[in-house]
Amino acid sequence: MSFLEALWIGFDEARRHLGQTLLSLLGLVLGTGSIVTVLALFGGQSKITQEYISEVGGFGTVIVRDRDQSEQPTARELASDRLTYGDARYLKDKATMLSAVAPGYFNQLEYRVGGVDFRGTIIGTTPDYAVINDIRPMVGRYLSDLDVRRRSRVMVLGWAYADSLFGDPHRSIGQLVTLGGRNYTVVGVMEREEFYFAAWSGNSLAYRNQRAYVPITTAFSQYTGEDESLSFLTLKAITPTGARAAEEQVSAMLLLRHGVEDFDITPSGGGANSDADFFMLFNFIFLVVGVISLIAGGVVIANILLASVVERVREFGTRMAIGATGFQIFSQVLAQVIVVAVIGGLGGLGLGAALTGTVAHFMSMPAAVTPPIATVAIVTSLSVGFVAGLYPAFRAARLSPVEALRYG
Amino acid sequence: MALIAAHGLTKIYRLGRVDVPALRGVDIAVEEGEYVAITGPSGSGKSTLMHILGCLDSPTAGSYHLAGEDVSELRGRALARVRNRKVGFVFQTFNLMPRMSIDENVALPLQYRGGQSRRARLEKARALLERLGLGERIGHRPEELSGGERQRVAVARSLIGEPAILLIDEPTGNLDSKAGAEVLETFREVHDAGNTIVLVTHDPNVATEADRSIHIADGLVAA
Repeated sequence: MSFLEALWIGFDEARRHLGQTLLSLLGLVLGTGSIVTVLALFGGQSKITQEYISEVGGFGTVIVRDRDQSEQPTARELASDRLTYGDARYLKDKATMLSAVAPGYFNQLEYRVGGVDFRGTIIGTTPDYAVINDIRPMVGRYLSDLDVRRRSRVMVLGWAYADSLFGDPHRSIGQLVTLGGRNYTVVGVMEREEFYFAAWSGNSLAYRNQRAYVPITTAFSQYTGEDESLSFLTLKAITPTGARAAEEQVSAMLLLRHGVEDFDITPSGGGANSDADFFMLFNFIFLVVGVISLIAGGVVIANILLASVVERVREFGTRMAIGATGFQIFSQVLAQVIVVAVIGGLGGLGLGAALTGTVAHFMSMPAAVTPPIATVAIVTSLSVGFVAGLYPAFRAARLSPVEALRYG
Repeated sequence: MALIAAHGLTKIYRLGRVDVPALRGVDIAVEEGEYVAITGPSGSGKSTLMHILGCLDSPTAGSYHLAGEDVSELRGRALARVRNRKVGFVFQTFNLMPRMSIDENVALPLQYRGGQSRRARLEKARALLERLGLGERIGHRPEELSGGERQRVAVARSLIGEPAILLIDEPTGNLDSKAGAEVLETFREVHDAGNTIVLVTHDPNVATEADRSIHIADGLVAA
């Protein structure tokens, strides 16, 4: 009996026992379908998360922050100036693994233009900030090295601030804005930034439109009384894959300057947003449900097959009497379940593709059933069927012909 | 050597700690072309004898040669091959596959033998069914046939592999007297065509159909 013939017999058997086949199929189709859906959505999600990371600075971006002080700080800790603008200039000058260094001073200040006033974010930084975060002005220009050197009283507005203060970004250029009691001239307005994880979720980059950028030197001179402590320090490695080497170099250089490790270095984008975490959890739950339904499907198949083997003991006895070997009986039972498993896998693939399409359509998410996912689906379904079929097939093959003929 | 040559066939079943002898040294010889009936009351050991002669079971002791081959030591796969090639069974309850058409049923032994296409097997099965007067029933399922017709399908299935012997178990047990007579007539025709038949029955009237009777009692040949 050839393999093809065994499969043909399996198909025949599956057709002849239609009730059993349909019940088994249901379990497999649902299980495989949910796994396909989860994997497709998962793939789409990780793609979108990568896009987000690249949007907020990309791979190879490193963030340095002050570490929280110990409860009982050591003398070295107390002696350290912590992260300063001096550190940034030093790294910019000396660190060979970095292509850009953007120090940041962060504050909430009073904005006022004519009768309008509100409290908002200002960021004091350098031209490298726009390079690292891949942001561009929509009108006018960004901060320049000259601004930083001269401590110019210029500002670049986020899109939302320009919109709410002046109604039109184009009309903002050259206007005066009072920021914490000091006047600044608007020299540019940034492009509107937006990123949506899904159609129903809000703009994950909205916060970037609600701020203004001023030269970091200006910020220090106007608001801190020459204290040059940084709120953050963003660095870009020379290559996207060089982040780890850059981290090591920066860590060593800062340790030398501070005399103590009072800073933390983290890659950008990692765990940066709760939206992505939420989707991960969502996918995980779906995956668990899929695996459980497949296992349940497998148990159902094993049970149905076992019952069918018991029901057909006399049939197997007869088949043995007319010359079937134990192996042929084994193959017959297994071929039946394998045919069911293949059909179940294909059905599950179809169901998964339909579900993925529906979810992707209604939630505006990028998700697709790719060839690897299809392969996983078929292989999973086949394995479940195979494992579920082994024991019943073995039971049938081990029957003694005489006992089997006497049965029932 | 005779087609069936069995010497000192012994079969002992172990029930818990008790050994129950079903056969206690049976000698049987059946020549090619014979029509032999094995008779005996239930519990006499005739079913056990039929199982061993049909290679469904192996004797505990003794030797058994079927068509020149020593089969008493064969087990599993080798025994299955002998059943497939040398033995044709006709069961009391016919044991047809209910979900297959009668031609598929008849072709089944050839499927296990291998080497022929499905089409060739089915053609051979249909030709045999025609010869047994079931040509108009081809394509039907067993449940759509009368008892006598089903019995003839079972006969066709036993004949398709051109076995050395036909083993028939209580052929009229599940049939009314008219159908029973028809079936016995079929066996006679099959035998006249040159087949060797061993028929197992407890019914003396059926046994008279055979050319010779072997009576089994208490696990021994009685006469």
